[in-house]
Amino acid sequence: MNSRDYVQVSGAPQMRPTVRAMRWLAAVKIDFSLLVLVLSLCCFGLAALYSASDGDSGLIRRQAFIVGLGVIAMLTVAQFDMRLVRRATMYVYLGGLALLGLVLWIGVEANGARSWLDLPGLPSFQPSELMKIVVPAVLAGYLSSRPLPPRLWHIIVAGVLVLIPTALIVLQNDMGTAMLVAMAGFFVLLLAGMSLKLVVAGGLLVLLASPLWYVFFALEHQKNRILSFINPYTDPAGAGYNIIQSQIAIGSGGVYGKGFGEGDQSRLDFIPESNTDFIFAVIAEEFGFAGALVLIGLYALLLARGLLIAVNAHNMFARLLAGGIVLIVFFNVYVNMAMVVGLLPVIGLPLPLISRGGTAIVALFVGFGLLMSIDAHSRRSQSPRD
Amino acid sequence: MTGRWHFRDHEAERRLFNRRVLLASSAIFLLLAILVAKLVDLQVVQYEYFSARSDGNRLHVQYVPPQRGVIYDRSGTLLADNLPVYNLTIVPEEVNDLAVTLDYLSGLVELSDSDLETFENQLRRSRVPYSSVPLRYVLTEEEKYRVAVNGHRMPGVRMEPQLMRHYPFDSLTAHSVGYVSHIDQQELDALDETEFENYGGTTHIGKTGVERTYEHLLHGQVGYETVEKNNRGRVMRVLASTEAIAGNDIALHLDHRLQIAAEAALGDYRGAVVAIEPETGGILAMVSKPAFNPNLFVTGISSRDYDPLVNDTVNTPLFDRSISPYPPGSTIKPFLGLAGLQLGLVDYEFTIDDPGYFQLPGVSYRWNNYTMRTAIGGGHGITDLRKAIYQSSDTFFYDLGHRMGIDAMHDFMSLFGFGGNLALDIAYARSGVLPSRDWKLETRGEPWYPGDTINSSIGQGYMWATPLQLATAASMIANEGRVVRPRMLKSVGGEPYRFEEEFSAADVVLEDPDYWRYMRDAMTMVVHRPYSNVFRDYGTAYEAIARADPDMNYKIAGKTGTAQVVGISQSIRSSTEIRVSEQNKDHALFIAFAPAGHPRIEPRIALAVFVENGEHGSTVAGPVAKKVTDAWLLDILQLDLTVELEPEPAPEQDPLQLNPSEVAALDE
Repeated sequence: MNSRDYVQVSGAPQMRPTVRAMRWLAAVKIDFSLLVLVLSLCCFGLAALYSASDGDSGLIRRQAFIVGLGVIAMLTVAQFDMRLVRRATMYVYLGGLALLGLVLWIGVEANGARSWLDLPGLPSFQPSELMKIVVPAVLAGYLSSRPLPPRLWHIIVAGVLVLIPTALIVLQNDMGTAMLVAMAGFFVLLLAGMSLKLVVAGGLLVLLASPLWYVFFALEHQKNRILSFINPYTDPAGAGYNIIQSQIAIGSGGVYGKGFGEGDQSRLDFIPESNTDFIFAVIAEEFGFAGALVLIGLYALLLARGLLIAVNAHNMFARLLAGGIVLIVFFNVYVNMAMVVGLLPVIGLPLPLISRGGTAIVALFVGFGLLMSIDAHSRRSQSPRD
Repeated sequence: MTGRWHFRDHEAERRLFNRRVLLASSAIFLLLAILVAKLVDLQVVQYEYFSARSDGNRLHVQYVPPQRGVIYDRSGTLLADNLPVYNLTIVPEEVNDLAVTLDYLSGLVELSDSDLETFENQLRRSRVPYSSVPLRYVLTEEEKYRVAVNGHRMPGVRMEPQLMRHYPFDSLTAHSVGYVSHIDQQELDALDETEFENYGGTTHIGKTGVERTYEHLLHGQVGYETVEKNNRGRVMRVLASTEAIAGNDIALHLDHRLQIAAEAALGDYRGAVVAIEPETGGILAMVSKPAFNPNLFVTGISSRDYDPLVNDTVNTPLFDRSISPYPPGSTIKPFLGLAGLQLGLVDYEFTIDDPGYFQLPGVSYRWNNYTMRTAIGGGHGITDLRKAIYQSSDTFFYDLGHRMGIDAMHDFMSLFGFGGNLALDIAYARSGVLPSRDWKLETRGEPWYPGDTINSSIGQGYMWATPLQLATAASMIANEGRVVRPRMLKSVGGEPYRFEEEFSAADVVLEDPDYWRYMRDAMTMVVHRPYSNVFRDYGTAYEAIARADPDMNYKIAGKTGTAQVVGISQSIRSSTEIRVSEQNKDHALFIAFAPAGHPRIEPRIALAVFVENGEHGSTVAGPVAKKVTDAWLLDILQLDLTVELEPEPAPEQDPLQLNPSEVAALDE
């Protein structure tokens, strides 16, 4: 706003329209490298979805519409003032918890998880997906106003802030998202300087507790997922089927792939959940190792750009928020890909920006919008004019 | 440092944050490296393996069953056709719970136990994954509708069109053409590896009749297609295919019109008619009555339909009478007479004085003229061979047979195919019994007694022959000894079929070819010799055939026969008191060929008629034969048979003032 006022005062009428537009663009907070990377990934995703869904134009239109919606959300959020964002986090967090509570009360079930809200006048959406961004934000706000590294007491409070939404999401029976939200909180704590000894101790504790969990608490399908991860061929037609077919798709893609729309495994429906969780198998089959590398490269660039923004951010809130967003995006991407290639057991997580989705994509764009806002804010604070 | 008032070292915090970002970056780099390494392993190192697995997923080789050849009759009319029908099939791989699906299906369509049994047997066979297994054949319109409406609830259940064998003449060709039905495990086990492969997509196989004999011609060669299937087993496209080669269409010598005529001629009697074209050996008609609807067997006969067929012990519709042996009775007399001439035991002048019975020297037992169980009694008086044929004198043949002996009788009769199977392509035809000393010792463990020869001389005792054998033997007299082995198959794919074994049987060569003419004339008299004032000097079939049709413009050479079913003692037999039960009545037989002795036209048909419990060869079997020869010569061939026939002398009054039809019925 300030800069536009300045332009008008200094006799804009003589300036050529192109220069005016450029000035205006410079005033609008957009990180072009981030925008280009995100849009490239979305295009990659739309192409893969087109192939995976056998050219279902309705589905593609819907996905494109959501991406468009996400871009608008991203650019809008990018204009927010960081101070405003910081003040708003606690209210947004409390609002998010209220929505999660509402989901438990009047939520709609789909694919085994009761995580959708169908409010009148709004498209149905998943509040849990928004918490992937809200939880790191509220933790960043809480921790950044305290000296770092955080003390045990702060860590416990932060843990409670994370566990409340996580527990609510677990109650919705959406383990994948619950894990993401919990990890988002953990990543902020880690970035805030939580003692690595504590991290290692916690890790060991989880490792020791996992056999107990497996024996006493794990559900049948969770056990099957773990067993079929260890050896998919113990039940090739049942629990192991997904991972076997996924690996066949990826392996048979070879170096250069079978070509767009030519993936036999995908075309003939051998790849399970090819629109969502296993879309990476479609990409690896049709575009081969080369295509998979391009995709991984795009993500790596996106993460690198995000981490750069985090490092350059002008205050600790912005740093923690940016870093938390980047790490949760990485975690989501990695868990999905590792699951599809067979490095991890099957966990129901989509591939960010590529898989078919609604709220998840918009939430990611909001996250990228926050990154842009942080970037713009830090540049302004460094600029001598501001 | 106390909690609230501490000094915040922003630079230190920033350095801590940057260290943590560095740590995270390293972790990200490491993890991505592992991911890429895994991708290299899958996509580069194991590419060949996974590529093959992918092809194995989608590519399937499936059988394309050949279309079965159709069967025509000699006039080009279809006797066995292929009609499109819809079958209910199941792809077991796609079914969630087979028991539930079957249970649900049983509410929609009729599923018999045999359907389920056949289905489960086929499930146990090694089969191509995702190939369908037939459950029920030929759905009715209503069943088709019900399955279509409920199809979405039953993944893996399909309706598949198939060409199904159909016999347009139903029961008319049940025994001769036979039928196809589901291949059973036994038949599969009998196939060698190549044949098994060739029956890959085939569900049916010829079970009886021509369908069985010419299975190898009709079946064809299986084809293959490489198809791409999706995850649900649906064929998405055909990538490569080897066309199936359809089976050969074949034509039979059978004529459906003659078959219809013969079947109709039998009327309500149980029996058989076999008609042969003497020149070619082609079987023109082969009827066994009663029969059954072969179409029921094609689609899998229900026990409701099957039980009555099996349990009917009187009519035995599944039993092929045309190729089953019966005592031939007097129908063997012409052959025995020829043997007598050939062996010099009789000549044209030889006579006996027939007292009505025969006694072996030094034996008091009397072999009566079977048919002389009348109040009149007595014999035929002075009887030569000709009269012994047209009056069917048993005494004459008792004497001839006795003098001939069983060895000579056996050797000569076997030339006419008795005791064997001359038919080229009716392998399953029974060979009856042409008794001999060896045969009796082997089967009965007893020596041959002279009395056995006497019984055999009139086609009783151990002598058994099938209607097919009798027709064959009759055709050999029509051909004057030339053997033309009977056959069903006329042509394959329009090309006349040549049998390798065509000339493997020796012709019957007689000392004097005139013996053939002599026997033909004698047999013609059986049908055409009218009543006269001479006692018992008419043909046994004159009343029933020639007299019944004064306009008859051709001659039939024939021989009547009456075969005893049960050994009723002759004293009881001659009593008028006894009422013989229906199934114990004598069988009526008639052999014939026509036209006989025609100046221009060789015999065109030779036949044997067998009427089960028909009692009299003359009155019952004779008219059947006449209807068949009429149908063939007059209606079907439409021969111009008119010749200047000598005017027949008006029949004179029988000196005994008997009703002539009564006499004919009693004397054979």
